[in-house]
Amino acid sequence: MPVLRRYCRNPSAMLGLVILLAVVVLALSADQLFPRNPLALAGRPLQWPFASPRFWLGTDTQGRDIAAQLFHGARISLLIGVVATSIAIALGILVGAVAGYYGGVVDEVLMRLTDAFQILPNFLLLLLLIAVFGSRLETVVIAIGVVSWPAPARLTRAEVLSLRHREFVEAGRLAGLRDLRLIFGEILPNALPPVIVYASVVMATAILLESALAFLNLSDPNVPSWGNLVGQGRAVLRSEWYVCALPGIAILLTVLGVSLTGQGLNDALNPRLDEQ
Amino acid sequence: MLLLRFALQRLVISIPSLLLILIGVFILLQFAPGDTVDALLAQIGGGDSTLAEQLRQFYGLDAPVTVQLGRYLWRLAQFDLGYSAIYGKPVAEVILERLPVTLLLMVSSLLVAVVGGVLLGIIAARKVNRWQDTTISTLALLFYATPSFWLGVMAVVLFSIHLDWLPAGGLEDIGGGLHGWQRAVDIARHMILPTLTLGLIFLSVYVRIMRAAMLEVATLDFVRTARAKGVSENRIVTRHILRNALLPLVTLIGLHAGTMLGGSVIVESVFTLPGLGRLAYDAVMQRDLNTLLGIVFISALLVIVVNFMVDLLYARLDPRIRAKGH
Amino acid sequence: MSLSRRSLFASVSALAAAAALPRFAFAADAAAIDAPKAGGAVSVHLAAEQRILNPALRASTGVYIVTSKIIESLVDLGADGKPVPVLATSWDATPDGKTITFKLREGVTWHDGKPFTSADVQYNALELWKKHLNYGTQLHLSLEAVDTPDAHTAIFRYSRPMPEGLLLRALADLGYVVPRHLFEGTNPLENPANTAPVGTGPFRFVEYQRGQYIIAERNPTYWRKGFPYADRIVWRIISDKSAAVAALETGQVQLSAYNQLALADIDRLRKDARFEVSARGNEANAFNNTLEFNHRRKELADVQVRRAIAHAIDVDFFAENFLYGTGKRATGFIPSNSTAFYPGGSFPYPYDTKAAEKLLDQAGYKRGSDGTRFSLKLLLVPNGEDVGQFATFIQQSLADVGIAVEIVQLDMAAALSTIYKEWNFDLATGWHQYRGDPAVSTTVWFRSGSPKGSPWTNQHGWQSDSIDTLIDTAASEVDPAKRRALYAQLVDDINRDLPIWFATEREFVSVTNKQLKNHHNTPRWPSSSWYDLSL
Repeated sequence: MPVLRRYCRNPSAMLGLVILLAVVVLALSADQLFPRNPLALAGRPLQWPFASPRFWLGTDTQGRDIAAQLFHGARISLLIGVVATSIAIALGILVGAVAGYYGGVVDEVLMRLTDAFQILPNFLLLLLLIAVFGSRLETVVIAIGVVSWPAPARLTRAEVLSLRHREFVEAGRLAGLRDLRLIFGEILPNALPPVIVYASVVMATAILLESALAFLNLSDPNVPSWGNLVGQGRAVLRSEWYVCALPGIAILLTVLGVSLTGQGLNDALNPRLDEQ
Repeated sequence: MLLLRFALQRLVISIPSLLLILIGVFILLQFAPGDTVDALLAQIGGGDSTLAEQLRQFYGLDAPVTVQLGRYLWRLAQFDLGYSAIYGKPVAEVILERLPVTLLLMVSSLLVAVVGGVLLGIIAARKVNRWQDTTISTLALLFYATPSFWLGVMAVVLFSIHLDWLPAGGLEDIGGGLHGWQRAVDIARHMILPTLTLGLIFLSVYVRIMRAAMLEVATLDFVRTARAKGVSENRIVTRHILRNALLPLVTLIGLHAGTMLGGSVIVESVFTLPGLGRLAYDAVMQRDLNTLLGIVFISALLVIVVNFMVDLLYARLDPRIRAKGH
Repeated sequence: MSLSRRSLFASVSALAAAAALPRFAFAADAAAIDAPKAGGAVSVHLAAEQRILNPALRASTGVYIVTSKIIESLVDLGADGKPVPVLATSWDATPDGKTITFKLREGVTWHDGKPFTSADVQYNALELWKKHLNYGTQLHLSLEAVDTPDAHTAIFRYSRPMPEGLLLRALADLGYVVPRHLFEGTNPLENPANTAPVGTGPFRFVEYQRGQYIIAERNPTYWRKGFPYADRIVWRIISDKSAAVAALETGQVQLSAYNQLALADIDRLRKDARFEVSARGNEANAFNNTLEFNHRRKELADVQVRRAIAHAIDVDFFAENFLYGTGKRATGFIPSNSTAFYPGGSFPYPYDTKAAEKLLDQAGYKRGSDGTRFSLKLLLVPNGEDVGQFATFIQQSLADVGIAVEIVQLDMAAALSTIYKEWNFDLATGWHQYRGDPAVSTTVWFRSGSPKGSPWTNQHGWQSDSIDTLIDTAASEVDPAKRRALYAQLVDDINRDLPIWFATEREFVSVTNKQLKNHHNTPRWPSSSWYDLSL
């Protein structure tokens, strides 16, 4: 496949993929390497990395193994990223496709709704949703998804609009295909690639949003997420800054990996830019 | 005249969205457990139920939801934003006190992001694939991936605590009695770290967009023609490429207006700046509905205004749009 | 013996001029260096914005740390912990305890020039403390009238006996007096003087910039001649804890009290020679980490289960490793620094997981196939970061004995509403503040009858008539020795029934820059008037 070949020839895209795979490996190996509950008290609190052979990366303010939390946290971060992004993309595609295909009043109403969500600063809406519905992981993930759907919706709508009047769609209509089949069978498969690529941006943002919430102590304390570690480490920032720094680096690398992969995909799908 | 019509058109289109937001937020906050009296009791360390009853009556919280919403919308139609429960002052006053700081933060961050982004993007595009490009692009990616609060907190640790070059937070040195120019300099010093924290994230996005756009435009026909005609490289960059490359960047600014406002919540929190972002966070935590709705209203207006200015700028930059007489 | 500023400057400059004199001048020099210097601005950390700067309406340390320099109370606590006269110069109670006469200080004026009289005290007591002040409404429940036979005498009449010790200790916090002429006839909650306070104190209010700072400056007509030493006080509002520590370390702020900083930072600053970090000056205040049980859960209604839970949590380990030495295991609900009431003794349920498991088995809750007996929801009231840590510690400790705990994290308003109004919790943990006397804000956690929705009261679905009676009797017992014995018995009863567990005993710690002198010299110093604070 030419897309795959173009992707593999792009060094930064490959780097992104490698980082992403590393995070996945972290997530998968967590149970093997750290079978105990990562949130259980493991030793004296606030030990420095490399100070004790049992805790390579030290312990946090609750005496929990940081390395264990980093590994198990990879699972949570990927989960948050994937689920929130799926919700955002699914909602976005639905709204965008319907608005773009039907046009007219339907389009106007849906666009006003999209506008409303885009005008309201998304972090503020997130704060509100958390204040109302609580901090459980499920709630946080759904809230992040709900806050992120406008951009994919606009993208989808733009793509659907441009495809709506193409010949193959007209042909389908003349052949008597129903609207739903047209949308899902003919238009969307062609409209989706840019939206899927944009999913990487949404995923990166989702991970960053969750860590920002955890920084403000508004995320779920029952799961070992990286953001929670950063939030905890805030209290000991001056002296034991590694509690904040290590998960911060993990978040940074993951977001980097996701972004690079997405960019690589984008470049591979749009060869014009690749000819530089 | 055309401009005025354009402006009014945009405004009118935005009104339904604005109403949607306000009503939506109002209803949403009704479902939040606890109300402003609970938050107040929490702050003062307790109180008995007669006190709570009194306060609820005082703040009008004992009326049914629809009545409260009706009252609110009616006041809004008269441009009255209501009374803040947290501050005991009219919401309009509270917001006007905090608005300048947030505006200062946003404008300076935007300036840093745009100017830095454009300049660095041009350099990266001009020296494509050489070490300047690689360095700039890598740094841009790193800053994009960094959580803003982490960046802010680490910056404070480095520049304030260990190096003592810049103040750790706040807007200005109080009790110092500075005026005029000295005061402006003092405020500027305090704003350096917050501006960089908020601006660097967006700068990294703009650098990449600028670079990509410049590279794309440089291959287009009219540029090749100009080069063939012997026009100097600099002139080509400034007159032809820049104008077109700026278009996607300008669109992004409009889209980012809301995100920047959201980002200011974290930055204002880390650097203790008395702005709207932090006020919004407090309003959510203290369930001060009037203040929150007021902030939502103002930030929505801000975003609409920024988008409007972006549209104007876009029209100026892209001659095709002007030709269509939009 | 009061020094006027002028004479102070004169003596210092005289000594400076005499620097050429032989050795005995050094001793005099040293004395001059120790004597307080007048002038200077003091910067204080304030963590939370205060809506109402009126201690006659709001009883909280956040309000006192600002307003007690501007507004004064009838009494304060002296270095020995006993009440000292401030606006009241002497007091006298009738043997039946129903009438207490206060003689008020003469020659005191409000910051706006009008004289302070007994009419002010009468207004405050009847209209503000009795009707609006949290904990004041309860304290003065039986207050019927305040007579003012002359401008400097106020006679408090109660329908039930009021123990003099209780009233005086409480008045240090709950006896602040604001001007009648500014509040009478208005709605006290809406009065503009709530954000621009006027009082009789050593400092006058200057400015309140929302979200930034509050400034007060020296009151030249203060009734204590020669005081205050400092020129102005600036309270900087910094809600982010790491920003606050940074401000302290860079000298922007010189004092942070009441554990407004993170414990880890407080501990780190102990080793910094620039600061004094101690609980000195906070002896009159103490607080606890609580563990509250919702007795509507049938498992928790069983006292054996509650005792088992107490056995399962190693509070000493928690205090040692997470509290950095600012707390220890509590023996009962009265803290050990409450000299008037502390009964001594030990907590009957020491850390013993085997005993815990036995009790749980006995109660009929055996471990299931997955090792779990039953599960509970733990809500936390986020007063400080140690509350979250205690919650996690509870979760882990109970997991070890087979009780699965899920932590529910909500913000303050939601947490208070969910626990005390909706009763939607199984376990809850937060802070309880002891205010010098069990009757002020502590016994209300055990007594039944608090209406639904009142935070930090007994909303736990538990009631005991004998304990209710004991509490009521102790609140009206005039004889201090008898009162003490009654509360000692209450401690034993509560420890036996354990309806709620005050697990740790905590001290408030202040971090003070050594530039400041004459600080923390009274037991509730951060809430005192600082008239002798100097730089």
